[in-house]
Amino acid sequence: MKWLGLIATAFTGILLLSATPYFPSFGDPNSPANAGVNGGVSVSQYYITETYTDTKVPNIVTAVLADYRGYDTMFETVVIFAAGVAIFAILRSFGGTTIPSHPTAIDTSVEGDHQRIIIGMTCKLIIPVIQLFALYVVAHGHHSPGGGFQGGVILGASFILMALAKELDTALARFSEKRYLALACVGIFIYSGFGLLCVALERNFLDYGILHRLMPATDEIMARSHSMLGVEVGVAFTVTAIMFAIYANLSSKGRLEQGF
Amino acid sequence: MSEQLPAILLLSPLFGALITGLVGMTDHRRCFPILATALTVSLFCAISLLAQVVKSGPIDYFVGGWDPQRVPLGIGIQLRIDGINALLLVVITTVALLTSIYSIRRAGEENTEKTPQFYMLSQMLCVGLLGITVTADAFNLFVLVEVSSLTSYALVAMGSKPRGTMAAFNYIIMGTIGASFYLLGVGYLYMKTGMLNMAAIHQILSDPNVGHSPTVYVAFILILVGVWTKMAFFPLYGWLPNAYSYCPSTTSCLLAPLMTKVSVYVMIRVMLSVFGSEWIFQSLGWSHTVVWLACIAIVAGSVLALAQVELKKMLCYLIVAEVGYMVGGAWLANHWGMVGAIYHILSDAFMTLCLFIAANIFIKNRRAERIDQLEGLFKKMPITTTGFVIGALAMIGVPPTAGFFSKWYLLRGGIESGQWGYVVALLISSLVNAILFFRIFEVAYFGKNPVESHDAHHDHEDETQPSSVGDSTLFSGEGRPTTVIPLLITAAIIVLLGVFNGPIVEIIQQALDGMPVVGAAIR
Repeated sequence: MKWLGLIATAFTGILLLSATPYFPSFGDPNSPANAGVNGGVSVSQYYITETYTDTKVPNIVTAVLADYRGYDTMFETVVIFAAGVAIFAILRSFGGTTIPSHPTAIDTSVEGDHQRIIIGMTCKLIIPVIQLFALYVVAHGHHSPGGGFQGGVILGASFILMALAKELDTALARFSEKRYLALACVGIFIYSGFGLLCVALERNFLDYGILHRLMPATDEIMARSHSMLGVEVGVAFTVTAIMFAIYANLSSKGRLEQGF
Repeated sequence: MSEQLPAILLLSPLFGALITGLVGMTDHRRCFPILATALTVSLFCAISLLAQVVKSGPIDYFVGGWDPQRVPLGIGIQLRIDGINALLLVVITTVALLTSIYSIRRAGEENTEKTPQFYMLSQMLCVGLLGITVTADAFNLFVLVEVSSLTSYALVAMGSKPRGTMAAFNYIIMGTIGASFYLLGVGYLYMKTGMLNMAAIHQILSDPNVGHSPTVYVAFILILVGVWTKMAFFPLYGWLPNAYSYCPSTTSCLLAPLMTKVSVYVMIRVMLSVFGSEWIFQSLGWSHTVVWLACIAIVAGSVLALAQVELKKMLCYLIVAEVGYMVGGAWLANHWGMVGAIYHILSDAFMTLCLFIAANIFIKNRRAERIDQLEGLFKKMPITTTGFVIGALAMIGVPPTAGFFSKWYLLRGGIESGQWGYVVALLISSLVNAILFFRIFEVAYFGKNPVESHDAHHDHEDETQPSSVGDSTLFSGEGRPTTVIPLLITAAIIVLLGVFNGPIVEIIQQALDGMPVVGAAIR
């Protein structure tokens, strides 16, 4: 069986490599992806030249992600949401037999006390900064590198840090299970809600332009930019919640109790 | 509003899942009405889309309003609904709705505290499958494959059987490999064409300079292998039997009819819309090889099914054989083969659903996991067994069920293209199916003693409570109405699909006019 695996891997490798000589050269400005085929449409050229006039968003990546291919991104968020629900569905165990209490890993000596104090104080100082930075990354996603996924991960990481440095309960007290599950749903609600609003205003799904009717003092193009921020916030909600949900369930074997 | 139907079709189950997450956690009884409403809206959308397509041809929907009148094709994401996938949409939503009726009580019993999660996952699975079916963008297809796969892994793993968890793990590994192959293939294609939109790729590939590049051939092989893994085509079927037979019964009713069929549709979509049949059958010229592979799949699936003692395992191996039918039909390189393959996707979804619901009722009420435990079922539960018989007859291919007509079209395609191996494999498989099911009929009809005792080793695997068996024997041994009614509806659909095969085939042919199947080069 091992040999079979080796042969299959070798075969796949050869197959993948066999096509490489016919690839466009690395960084070739005339490659199909950069310049189109036979003078046809080049998607990337279009994005580079037209994004700003279409959407008033200087960060092309965000514009492609949240507007041109916003439909993909919505489902990527659904994938993350599904992963969170899946973890919950598989791991979460309610009550039942109590696990034998683990010997606490907390070092009760004076030295251990010192370490706890150092870690505790550091986290106290650093967590607000992390969270503030996360919000900045989300809010500036359409102007500079960043966006909902990145900001959400940072925000989720701050809660994970809290759970790691103190106890899972400390983090759960601030971000309870009910709350994070609801937040995950609300995140996708925001995203798909933006799409549905467009449908309600008789445009295609996720055609943000029409939302200028609901936003004061914006035209169609600025409405796209603002809506992108909106959906990024939705993505950030879901990612934050699911990050923490996955950590909480994995670290406590689905019991959400202390004792790792 | 009618032009927004493609979006509403997908959004309805998505919002259903979200609302279930928000309000279903506290009260599990709210979950089912939400699911039923969401799927009914989807079904309505699917049927109106079908009517619209039949009346006025394929529908193009440009998400985000990036339609070719404003920007070049391929800037945004396109959804395209033609006759074939409109039919498939109706099938997916119908199967999901029937399964949801089946799940009214069963989901609560099988998942107790996690019922809302079960309903959320199954609605997201529907979103994924519907999205795969309507999309006209090669990368978007991958994203939706991810949605449907992730949810299905979780649905399989949710059961209480330890073997189910192991099967889910295998399924994750194989499924991820399949999806990665598909993604790699799309990456290779993008490198050569710079496009992700299916129609745009197709147009660029028609230029022989690009179309005959080895990169494109490798891309096609990668996509094909990826999709084959997803659909459990014969040598790559390893994950399927355990995943579908050890998962919770509601999950098996949802996954078995839909997942493999949608993957087969993906293959057909890639063949016709992305590469185009001219490229596939004339430039590539592999149709003979693939049809022979399909023959091996059909025969191997049938023989493996013959070797099974457990009813659900046997049905799983039959799925493997059926996948062989569809792959073979699609690769016969002629019109009737393709029509047969597409028609078989539709009919096989209902046949599988029918057999799985019946098998699950047998397991639940009579604890009959093995075929020899089905003794005396005709007497004990005549209605359920009748449903099972209709599904089985369709699987064998007895007129006027849908199974007969799909085999008829496939055989016609096989004969017209002179692929006699395929014709023989189909006939052998029908014969094996007949042996398999008549063996069951014999046990169920002539077997003397209805099963009272069961083997000890089945005890601890069984998730049902002994008391619930006692409850259901109150109404003369039949299953609950909520499980028997969807079974009978499915059985009726199988017959109706067969009787009205003419109009359906006409819709398929009308859709194929747009992308005709060009015959293989004469060799």
